[in-house]
Amino acid sequence: MPKLILKFDERELQELAIGTHPITIGRLPDNNLVIDNPAVSGRHARVYREGDHYVLEDLKSTNGTFVNDKPIARHTLLEGDVILVAKHTLVFTRQEGEPDAADHEAPAVRAGSAPLKPTSLLAGLDQGRPSQVYDAVVPKTAIPTAQGRIGTVKVISGKSSQPEFVLAAVTTMIGKADNAQIKLYGWFKPDVAAAIARKGEGFSITPMGGKLSINGEQVTGRREMANGDVIDVSGLTLKFSLS
Amino acid sequence: MRLKVGAATSVGRVRPINEDAFSTNAGLGLFIVCDGMGGAAAGEVASQMAVETINERVAGEPLRAGTERGFQPRTTHLGRAVAAANRAILARATEDAAHGGMGTTMVGAWIAESVLSVAHVGDSRAYLCTVDGVESVTRDHSLVEAQVQAGLIDREQSLKSAQQNILLRALGREPDVEIELSERPIGPGDRVLLCTDGLTRMLNDDALAEALVRFRGDPQGACDHLIAAANDQGGPDNITAVVIDVETSALGRMLDRLKKV
Repeated sequence: MPKLILKFDERELQELAIGTHPITIGRLPDNNLVIDNPAVSGRHARVYREGDHYVLEDLKSTNGTFVNDKPIARHTLLEGDVILVAKHTLVFTRQEGEPDAADHEAPAVRAGSAPLKPTSLLAGLDQGRPSQVYDAVVPKTAIPTAQGRIGTVKVISGKSSQPEFVLAAVTTMIGKADNAQIKLYGWFKPDVAAAIARKGEGFSITPMGGKLSINGEQVTGRREMANGDVIDVSGLTLKFSLS
Repeated sequence: MRLKVGAATSVGRVRPINEDAFSTNAGLGLFIVCDGMGGAAAGEVASQMAVETINERVAGEPLRAGTERGFQPRTTHLGRAVAAANRAILARATEDAAHGGMGTTMVGAWIAESVLSVAHVGDSRAYLCTVDGVESVTRDHSLVEAQVQAGLIDREQSLKSAQQNILLRALGREPDVEIELSERPIGPGDRVLLCTDGLTRMLNDDALAEALVRFRGDPQGACDHLIAAANDQGGPDNITAVVIDVETSALGRMLDRLKKV
């Protein structure tokens, strides 16, 4: 009997044999195949038998049903077809027992190299390259460990609360404000003189209300920090190291 | 920090109702924009619930000191409020069939003590405009954004994709949704834009940046202009924009000058 194999993120979740009755696919619990995902419509699609063939029909779902990366309204299923419903994939096969590797290689490769494999894309997003616009995804359970390299600043001259600071925070403030981790002392010192931001594995520094220079050169906008940089913030001189 | 705020929303030119919701609380520095989804009036319920719950939680719960996961206390506090909103919407959707399947995107900004804390779920966005230019603080939790990040399509193609409406995350659809948190240093002269996809699908980042620079010092003018521009492009979706300027007071400007000497 032909069947649909439901997969999510390369994991096989469920197998469902297709008999003479239609199979409905959707988010609502009364479907034969329930996919509990916000991008799946309540009644998303159905598969039914027509003569010797099996037909997949999209039930005017909001986000569409795709076969081998192409949106379909109605499609006669062929061996190895990869159906995409939101983030879940369904493989159509008539094979008994263990699916034949040869039969599945083609659609798997096709799906893997094509845009419509959001589960693998999601993984790429979460582990992705550090970029200007990306800080961190708050995980459901674990503390992120992807910060990788450790940045520290050592006080070379001037007065602060510690001789050395590990830049563990996403934002490290330098100033005399209560929420500044790197303290400045003195009547005329700014509340927040500068802020160091961690992005991916790198650090950048932005002048806020103080005078900032890096390696003797005055800085007015955000600047990426490099290992060995000597940073002067409103009279406090720090040496940055990245390890 | 003194904040000057502009906000505007429009149903657009195609949709019958506006399912976007937003709030501005300049005193606290908290700004929320949500884009609801789900048929039969459920979408606007979800977006409104998100706005209300997040505001209540942020203001009503005590701020815990200390950093969590490297984030400032306000950032994680905002994240917890969003998680509470998610649970509230999901509970309503589950107990009340009329609201079954409703959900909403959210982007929230909390501006205080020189830190911009941002939480987001879905494809509503936050942009930060500083002397360094305009930067998108958020990255959409959408299929097309994942495709762009994976290098499968480029930004221009993503704006033409038929799959722009596929979200990978939304509030109210799963008990344990991942809420993305971000932080940026923010100071006088900086500007934040929060908006729904009704704006960003009609105007690319260059057009947004141009408008943000052109209406410098006039946040309401910037919002009105952005909404009109999106409607001029066809306005196929609801559009919401909130613009927040961090102002410099005359006294502040004087003190800044003294401190820089």
